Amino acid sequence: MREAKGIVTGKIASAVMLIVFAVVGIFPGLPAQASAVDLESKSITLALATEPPTLHSARATDTIASFVISHMMEGLLRYGENGELVGGVAERWQIDENGARFWLRENATWSDGQAVTAQDFVFAWQYALRPETASQYAFIFYPIKGARAVNEGLAPPDSLGVRAVSRTELYVEFAQPCPYFLSLTAFMSYMPLRQDVVEHWGRRYAADADKMLYNGPFTLTKWVHGAHLTLEKNPHYWDKSSLRISRIDMPYITADPGAQFNLFRDGQIALANLDTGLLDEAVKRGYDIQHFHSGSLFFLEFNFRAGRITANRSFRKAIQYLLDPAVLVNKVIGLPGVLPAYSLFPVTVRGQRQAFRQEYPVRRLRQDLAVARQYLDQAKRELGLEVFPPLMLLAGDSPRAVQEAEYYQYLLKRGLGLDLRIDQQVFKQRIEKMRRGDFDIVVAAWGPDYDDIMTFADLFASWNDNNRGRYSHPEYDRLVRFAQNSASASQRFAAMAVLQDLVVDDVPILPTYENAMLYVQHPQLKGVRRSVFGGDPNFRDAWIEP
Amino acid sequence: MGIPVFRFAPWQPPILPDVECAAPPSWRWSPSLLAAAGTAMAMLLFVLVGPLVWQQDPSQQWLSQVSSGPTSGIYARVVGPIPAKGTGNLSRLTVIESNTERVHLAWPEVVSVERFRLYRAKQHQSGKGLPLWQGRDRSYTDELQLRRQIYRYTLVDADTGIMLFSTETRPEPAISVFEAQLQGLIPASAAVYPEYVRLPAHPLGTDALGRDILARLMAGGRSSLFVGIVAPLLFISFGAIFGGLAGYLGGKFDHFAMRSADFVVALPFLLFMILLRIAFGIGPGEDGILPLILAMLLLSWPSSARLIRGQVLALRSQPFIDSARLSGVTTWGIFRRHIFPNVLPVLMVAFSFAIPQAIFTEAFLSFIGMGVSPPSTSWGAMCNDGIKTLLSHPGQLLWPAAMISISVLAFNILGDALRDTADKRSGGVGQ
Repeated sequence: MREAKGIVTGKIASAVMLIVFAVVGIFPGLPAQASAVDLESKSITLALATEPPTLHSARATDTIASFVISHMMEGLLRYGENGELVGGVAERWQIDENGARFWLRENATWSDGQAVTAQDFVFAWQYALRPETASQYAFIFYPIKGARAVNEGLAPPDSLGVRAVSRTELYVEFAQPCPYFLSLTAFMSYMPLRQDVVEHWGRRYAADADKMLYNGPFTLTKWVHGAHLTLEKNPHYWDKSSLRISRIDMPYITADPGAQFNLFRDGQIALANLDTGLLDEAVKRGYDIQHFHSGSLFFLEFNFRAGRITANRSFRKAIQYLLDPAVLVNKVIGLPGVLPAYSLFPVTVRGQRQAFRQEYPVRRLRQDLAVARQYLDQAKRELGLEVFPPLMLLAGDSPRAVQEAEYYQYLLKRGLGLDLRIDQQVFKQRIEKMRRGDFDIVVAAWGPDYDDIMTFADLFASWNDNNRGRYSHPEYDRLVRFAQNSASASQRFAAMAVLQDLVVDDVPILPTYENAMLYVQHPQLKGVRRSVFGGDPNFRDAWIEP
Repeated sequence: MGIPVFRFAPWQPPILPDVECAAPPSWRWSPSLLAAAGTAMAMLLFVLVGPLVWQQDPSQQWLSQVSSGPTSGIYARVVGPIPAKGTGNLSRLTVIESNTERVHLAWPEVVSVERFRLYRAKQHQSGKGLPLWQGRDRSYTDELQLRRQIYRYTLVDADTGIMLFSTETRPEPAISVFEAQLQGLIPASAAVYPEYVRLPAHPLGTDALGRDILARLMAGGRSSLFVGIVAPLLFISFGAIFGGLAGYLGGKFDHFAMRSADFVVALPFLLFMILLRIAFGIGPGEDGILPLILAMLLLSWPSSARLIRGQVLALRSQPFIDSARLSGVTTWGIFRRHIFPNVLPVLMVAFSFAIPQAIFTEAFLSFIGMGVSPPSTSWGAMCNDGIKTLLSHPGQLLWPAAMISISVLAFNILGDALRDTADKRSGGVGQ
């Protein structure tokens, strides 16, 4: 009996071995052997952090969707190789204080061969603004006349200030002067949509690769949910001759930087982001580590609702004189490329001719323990308090955020004797608590949506919904309104310089750092554009070097 | 577990004076038991007496010594906020100032190079190392987590990748004026400060925020062992009383007790842990130690209750209990004189096995962020902190992990030995 059993086991084992060999032998080209770049087929392989929740350009909000959409759709304008605005579907354009006029290319077509018309843009923008679409990015259309009323359901969609003058001519009417409107047209919410296709699929539009239309350099040919996306060169794209990559394969979806790094190391993907723990390993392997400034600002936001201690200016000044962003960046975060922040405006914000921060350098305060304690005593007198109650610090749950929060907790305790309680929350919950005002101080971040200083400047205007601390300062509001309504660039930026100084002086927020991404890239892959705007990374102008 | 169900009255020598009896076998102190008991005691001493000997604040952050290895007390230069200025004409990449707060480098103009890129590598690392900066200036101040080791800086033409200069430097230990003031090493308002201050030693190094690992192991062990001992003490006592009553009284109460035990066993621990946290109104950022202990009390009592009930049930029907009852001993007397001494060894064994289990539960709950909250810590929370730097500084994870493993092992061996002794005792009675 024992013998027989042994033989059977042996047979099963060899059968299993046989099957394994067969599988390996029959499918040699499975992802296990995919290569990062393939010169012959001009294809590259990448990993995605997460699956995009939607690829509907009117509804998408996240960076992954922005990356995919920027490859498969093209707006009126797009960002060129060096981050400058160049013509997309629009061939030429004209902009003034009252509005903008775009002339579309005759040869711009959808992936089914039909021409892209001005009407497609009119439909897309009206569609995005409809209350039933519930687009979170509807506010980005507000510079267009009537957009706010349409979005709030007070006016019909066709009252929006945009109209198709002819098949190839589009006219946009502004609610107020909008010198940055051209960069808005490259944003994903401004992509065109074809009415017949969107209405045919209804809610299922852009839920699968075959349920949508493309007008960009690539089309989505494969979308296995949660597993695999493939972009291939669009044969109907008007400028297809300039593309030097014909296929972008994304067979891996993992948010773990360690897993992405291992894939890169094994030559399976062409690009991988690094985090602190992987830095030493990457250096040891001799990889060429690169960083790029992601343009987002991290800051401590104070709560100004009634009854909050943080509404007291002296209290905020005390923290300002205590917290040195350079120490946070160099000692706690410890990633090269991350910059200490001193201003509301990151270094990537453009000014009149060069970077805004070069034209108007920010006033720097020297951290000073004695001054900080004086301010705290003053706050105590002003508030009539003997001791400060514990404050609630709302923070994210990533390892870096936790470490950062522990640093603030220690610093405030040691330097000012304040008790700080750390409230760690996942992203969604944190946003919800911020909206409700359930915090004293929150570790927040803001990434720019369009290439203009206003994307940061109007953040703390009293009417902005994203002003989570309900900061309200008449001078701040006045400066933002002035800049929004001013047609003169020099006056706008001068007002913004005053605003920058006001933020240092009144401390509605305390900037901490400007984020950077560290990454490694396959040495044969060239021309990848890492950018703050218009989808990152961008492979439209990339090529593979032999 | 091979715990025999039957227990008898303590052995008593017969009254006949001329009969010789075998003495009950003495406890055997095997080496492993001695080692385990010693280790458990040492752990308790480490967390209770340790902080009196090693008087460092476990939450004090020495940001000038982030993630450092073991150090003895060193003198550090106090560095002001303004870096030293470079002098005269330079001919190569020059180190103007070099300490662990900043390395200030300057270099000459190079014909046809517009943008420079600066790399930093450790001395024995191959390659250029970490890219620090890229720009048009001709000087750079590196402040990025500098340690006392030799660094090699390489300056490269950013556009062509051609190496221009390279230099090595070993930064001297330093602390910024601001940090020295914050740590109370120099007065906050003094305009003049000493050139050097003495920094405390860190025998096991510091963690990613510059906190002394030894002091944190002691503080973390206190919360770990507190939970590890108090929680079992509570739930085993409760289980023993409840189970003992059920076994002795029998009938409806017994039925009720055992069905509620079945019910509690079916509850998922983690889910109830989270629910209790909310039910107790433990806000974010507050310590979860109390709900943790209460959750363990509410959810872990059935096993000891069942154990004791079985023991009491078996004892209750023994003739010596009947005879004691017939001689007029009160219920309380029977409990005290006959039942309690007989279930005590079983209780001890259950207790010593529950301790490592509770330590481990606390560690894993703190690891997933449900236990203690900063600034207090525990071994599990320290493991969670250390896992981020596992590749570069493994000590930050390995030390607390070793403490958990050692104490769990020690208490387990102790429990094993106690069980063996209890078994021998029962065996010895009949002889």
